[in-house]
Amino acid sequence: MASYPTLNFNLGETADLLRDTVANFAADELAPRAADIDRDNEFPADMWRKMGDLGLLGITISEEYGGADMGYLEHVIAMEELSRASASVALSYGAHSNLCVNQIYRNGTEEQKKKYLPKLVTGEYVGALAMSEPGAGSDVVSMRLHAKKNGDHYLLNGNKMWITNGPDADVLVVYAKTDPEAGSRGISAFLVEKGMPGFSTAQKLDKLGMRGSNTCELVFENCQVPAENMLGAEGRGVNILMSGLDYERAVLSGGPLGIMQACMDVVVPYIHERKQFGQSIGTFQLMQGKIADMYSTMHATKAYVYAVAQACDRGETARKDAAGAILYSAEKATWMALEAIQTLGGNGYTNEYPTGRFLRDAKLYEIGAGTSEIRRMLIGRELFNESSA
Amino acid sequence: MKILVCVKQVPDMESKFRVNDGGKWYDEADLALRMNEYDEYAVEQAVQLKEQVGEADVTILSIGSDRVKETMKKALAMGCDRGVHVVDDTSYAKDPFEIASIIAAFAKDHSFDMIFTGMQSQDRGSAQVGVLVAEILGMSSISTIVEFTFDNGQVTARRELEGGLKAIVKAKAPALMTCQLGLNTPRYPTLPNIMKAKKKELLSVEVATLLQVDAVQETTRMYFPEKKGGGIVLEGDVGNMVNEIINILKDKTGVLT
Repeated sequence: MASYPTLNFNLGETADLLRDTVANFAADELAPRAADIDRDNEFPADMWRKMGDLGLLGITISEEYGGADMGYLEHVIAMEELSRASASVALSYGAHSNLCVNQIYRNGTEEQKKKYLPKLVTGEYVGALAMSEPGAGSDVVSMRLHAKKNGDHYLLNGNKMWITNGPDADVLVVYAKTDPEAGSRGISAFLVEKGMPGFSTAQKLDKLGMRGSNTCELVFENCQVPAENMLGAEGRGVNILMSGLDYERAVLSGGPLGIMQACMDVVVPYIHERKQFGQSIGTFQLMQGKIADMYSTMHATKAYVYAVAQACDRGETARKDAAGAILYSAEKATWMALEAIQTLGGNGYTNEYPTGRFLRDAKLYEIGAGTSEIRRMLIGRELFNESSA
Repeated sequence: MKILVCVKQVPDMESKFRVNDGGKWYDEADLALRMNEYDEYAVEQAVQLKEQVGEADVTILSIGSDRVKETMKKALAMGCDRGVHVVDDTSYAKDPFEIASIIAAFAKDHSFDMIFTGMQSQDRGSAQVGVLVAEILGMSSISTIVEFTFDNGQVTARRELEGGLKAIVKAKAPALMTCQLGLNTPRYPTLPNIMKAKKKELLSVEVATLLQVDAVQETTRMYFPEKKGGGIVLEGDVGNMVNEIINILKDKTGVLT
């Protein structure tokens, strides 16, 4: 099969060069291992140093902390190209580089940034963020992890659930209630390190997809966190959480884009190679219709996601569109993985081909970082409120 | 130490090629473009040499239309220090002697200690430009190198010859190397270096100021070869098929002789 010309989104020289670098890196270092990582459900720890050497882990933070000083558009492209090779490793990358690194960069004190960012950027440390709890998923403000001031430190008690990178993380941004009576104004954010007394992780989860991106429950039993490890002001955690979620959704939207591209990477050669009735199945109109729908849906999704990332870079409020970007891209990626399986027929239904993995990985994005239902609620509510007289 | 690296932008070789209307080159429409593979080895070797000697300045030179700047940016992001873009919208129509003369005309006043080029370009594949540049400048050249060491002003290079032969060649700087597959593994431009590349000097020079010779050869026609018949499909007993394959390899190739 020849390589085929595709739409140029004119994203600029930096974005194009970045894409070239990450695509080559991912194709050489990550794609050959993706099936094993999925099958064995093992996090490839050695990738972290490699990503650190390339400068991927601190993509949006400034040079003084070892970062690359790029924007959210570039972060989306890095997510996309890594996800194209291995969506699970890319998810861990997103949790590390955006949810943890970017949150510390945006909200940390100078001391906190100097202490944690350089090691997170080189890949010496793995980072995570802990928001959800067994009883607080979409209803995040109902979290029950309690942080009680006790002299020069806080004592944390409770649990966090479904924490991406939890089993591997050295540093975690953790949200907890410092004032359980104050509702959303009683939430504060903390920087918790692995090894702090009273902090442990429970068994890692056996997930449908995103295998190799380790997820687990965190357990806090009188966990002592120094007071200087509070991220942002006391009681302001929900602002950090909500603004962080906007960027998180924009950046993670690159994940579904990469899965969609991976579908095309499998399907396009396949319709040449696979012969039925004496000819390539790509000569049949029903197959042509299928790849036309896949190709145009992927590009429409890319256009929306890139536009939202560029709005984030311009500092424009993009709350409903960040939610819209991931709502749309996630559902289209799942649809596209199903179409890819259908194109491959019996082969697509086996684990000899990666399309089943694409489907299992894609589905996560309809659930993580807010479910599709929460995203629709948020977008609809904002639209109604903003248009009210 | 002053180092020059010459790079060419070429199409992705997986592209679907068509001969253009003039019938002397390929149609460039819709082609994805990238750095000539052999030039990537040249860039990598130049950057490695700079890292080895410490004090060095690496200039990247490319000839072509504005779009070659994308390829130059990659070389800058890989660690080259500055770029010289020789602006020429019809560089594809120039013969190797003209291209070499342009490069030599630029290089002659800059006293480069080392020049790296690719062994050949992936599109034209003449493998003449590098050695012609050295000839015009009167410096020694070592072609198709697969190993390079530099010590105290002297290069020791391993060359790859036909039939699997290798040769060790020594030369004193200034010298020109043409780089072959296997020389090194080109690095990925890191993200911080991609950002730094934006601030590096990229000078534009009009080709007319450097080109003072006429072509010595002319491409009269470019065409696809006639399609040959299909391959041989062996069927039946495995033992017989193995014997048949051995016979074919003996008769039609040199691998079993």
